[in-house]
Amino acid sequence: MESNNVVLEIKSLCKSFGALKAVDNVSFDVKKGEILGLIGPNGSGKTTITNVVTGSLRKTSGTVIFEGTDTDTMKPYQIAQKGLTRTFQVVKPLVGMTVEENVLVGSLFGRDNREIDMASATKRAREIMDLVGLYGKKDSLVSDVTLPDLKKTELARALAMEPKVLFLDEVMGGLNLVEVEETSVLVKKLSRERGLTIVFIEHIMKVVMSITDRIIVLHHGRKISEGTPQEIFNDPMVIEAYLGKRYAKEVNNGR
Amino acid sequence: MAESKEGVWSNMVRSKKLTGVLLLTALAFLVLLPRFVSGYEVRVITNIFMYAVIAQGINLMSGYMGYLPFGNAMFFGTGAYITAIGMNKGLSFFLAAPLAALVAILFSVVFGFVLLRLRGHYFSIATIGLSAALLGVVQNSTITGGAMGTTLPLLTLSPSATNAFFYFGMLALMVFSSLVLYLVVKSRFGFGIRSIKANEEAAVSMGINTTYHKVVTWAISALFTSLAGALYAYWMSFIAPAEVFDIMIGVDCIVIMLLGGTGTILGPIAGAFVYEFVAQSVWSALPNYHLGVLGILIIVILLFVPKGIFSGIGDFARRRQMKLLRKAGT
Amino acid sequence: MNMQMLVNGVLLGGLYALMGLGFSLQWGISGIVNLSYGAMVILGCYISLECYSLLHLSPFISIIISGAILYALGALIYRTVLQRIVRGGIVFTLILTYAVRLIIENGLLRVWSADYRTISLSYAGDNFQFAGTVVPLVKSLVFVVVTLLVYVTYCFMLKTKTGKGIQAVALDREGAEAVGISVEKMYLINFALGTALAGIAGSLWASVYAFSPDSMNMIAGKVFVIAIIGGLGNIWGAAAGGLLLGLAETVGATLIGSQWQEVIGMAIMVIVLVWRPYGLMGKKFFG
Repeated sequence: MESNNVVLEIKSLCKSFGALKAVDNVSFDVKKGEILGLIGPNGSGKTTITNVVTGSLRKTSGTVIFEGTDTDTMKPYQIAQKGLTRTFQVVKPLVGMTVEENVLVGSLFGRDNREIDMASATKRAREIMDLVGLYGKKDSLVSDVTLPDLKKTELARALAMEPKVLFLDEVMGGLNLVEVEETSVLVKKLSRERGLTIVFIEHIMKVVMSITDRIIVLHHGRKISEGTPQEIFNDPMVIEAYLGKRYAKEVNNGR
Repeated sequence: MAESKEGVWSNMVRSKKLTGVLLLTALAFLVLLPRFVSGYEVRVITNIFMYAVIAQGINLMSGYMGYLPFGNAMFFGTGAYITAIGMNKGLSFFLAAPLAALVAILFSVVFGFVLLRLRGHYFSIATIGLSAALLGVVQNSTITGGAMGTTLPLLTLSPSATNAFFYFGMLALMVFSSLVLYLVVKSRFGFGIRSIKANEEAAVSMGINTTYHKVVTWAISALFTSLAGALYAYWMSFIAPAEVFDIMIGVDCIVIMLLGGTGTILGPIAGAFVYEFVAQSVWSALPNYHLGVLGILIIVILLFVPKGIFSGIGDFARRRQMKLLRKAGT
Repeated sequence: MNMQMLVNGVLLGGLYALMGLGFSLQWGISGIVNLSYGAMVILGCYISLECYSLLHLSPFISIIISGAILYALGALIYRTVLQRIVRGGIVFTLILTYAVRLIIENGLLRVWSADYRTISLSYAGDNFQFAGTVVPLVKSLVFVVVTLLVYVTYCFMLKTKTGKGIQAVALDREGAEAVGISVEKMYLINFALGTALAGIAGSLWASVYAFSPDSMNMIAGKVFVIAIIGGLGNIWGAAAGGLLLGLAETVGATLIGSQWQEVIGMAIMVIVLVWRPYGLMGKKFFG
């Protein structure tokens, strides 16, 4: 039943807010080293799933198994330390601290970093900032830095934690075309060169299609499709959910 | 000419060695001071040291972690009373005081687990409530001597030796608490604390055990504060509940912290000196108005110098640095 | 608990309700924990004291005067001191309002000294019978006035344009601004209203109990408890909180002795904070 290729299993996950079913019986596996796209219209449950999986929201029912361990009894910070991290859609920088300090916190408290000393943590933080393209801004306060750089800081912070699985929640939001391209290249590099497993939540279809290995499609809290980018692109249910019935008909007629 | 002066200053702030030398000089000055001033003045300065210690306790919690323990006086009172009870039962001060600190730490851990879940706002209020409740309990208990207070065994030394004992005691405590604060803030644990203030939700997502950090921090704060209370009790030889659990202690020390600059190591010390100086000059001029004047003073300080002395300098130095970097064409 | 205790508790609780209401509104709507609130209540006491001794006005009439004076004072304080600091965080609002309290306290001490004062009404000792209990006349008049005022406040908040504006600002600041409501004006009115209620509560307090500048501590403690139990900004919550506290104190005094009152009150507050930070009524404004 358990493939040693699967690093994160989500089984029949449900999350309700009162009467609202934000996540309705969603199941999928995340394979090691893949870039798994998670798409769907606004309100389809992508961020809620991220919150539940990483522990910041309590699930209503279902199971989340990370590297063979049920995360039910784990506290959010423990899940993060085990190697399951995320970036936030609305950036949450550590205000009052510099870019470098932000990334440093990631390298100090992330996975297996309990005994780490300041020197090696700083070294790792700097490597990450370099990778991401932030080195020049390292001494700037986060309050003085542009949104794209805040996004990079958030990404760098998550990477500094040496995660095994990283949920990127709309990391492209607010970036211009050039920055989107740069970030896409970076995400791909992280996966191919570092073997990082990435769950990629995004709206920009071009990017999703080009860099993901597989895609999960959500709609109204339910999983409506799963497959390769090609399969998803041609799935009528997906087209209908995203673009509406009329366009779906047009696409079908056009074939 | 002004350019280079400012340049020197910001360099000074950044240069650790120079700061170290300055601090040691200041310390030497304080150590030698009692020889040159009157007994009264020695006691005034001892009081300043004490306020600095309590303010450091609040500074650690509020300035660095973002949780304001308005009712921290409860640890001061606990330190004072446990010391009193201990000494009255025959323990020496050097046993009673650590015991008092232990009890205070215990309280902070037990209450902390419960109260530190509350958002900053509510945490502050809860500490006020807790402190008031503790005051009530002490006032109504017989072991503490009730509302009338209790005495402690006297330190039997000459007046000048007594003054010196408490002067150096408080000085040592002030240096100790500032040093601990410095070491904590520079450490990995300190980063955890600062992250909590910066963005607690993000801190959790980065693997920081925030509960642990919050509880330990309050315990350290309780340690400082209770030791100050212990020494105070021994110094005064007589304590009453309303005095050592007084909310004003918290208020004064918060103002001191704000005055000197929150989130800085030396801020509370500077603030304590300035506060006492103002108090001495104003109180003597207007003895019947000291509450009102204090109130006005607080308002003036907060409206015009909200970041305090050292924060202001730190900011200034940083802005200066950025300006220079930009000029260099980064 | 017998009928007499119930009656006493309710009468006391009613007054507490009005006292706590202003504080709860200030905290709940503009996020200002007003540590000078107790001082304002006591100021109301002294205003009525002077109206009574100088002008022979019954406190039930001088509530208009104390309400007006405290309203103006609240507006002044908000405008000069608090407005800039409202978003400065809890440290600032706590210390600043405490500073205001110190100023008021000093003023009261200078003018009236620390002695306890009372207003001795001619009908102070009168009472009537109700369901086998003895009901003091003054306290019941106070209760009637309190009920009226709580209801009037409720109507103001929910039915007048200004009141709705205040609600709007409390629920969604930016949204309110977007539709043209002056947020600062709403905060100002709300704060001043709170202090006015404090003053009125003080006048009523003075008609029944003795007071001195020292009493402000005790009152400050109580309004905290009431606001937290009832949920910040919640009018009926404050009413319920006040009644609950009045009953708890009355019963507690008989069972445990009055010296533990303060402790119990504080303990209740901390417990409610921890267990249900939105108060026993839950998070609803004005409901």
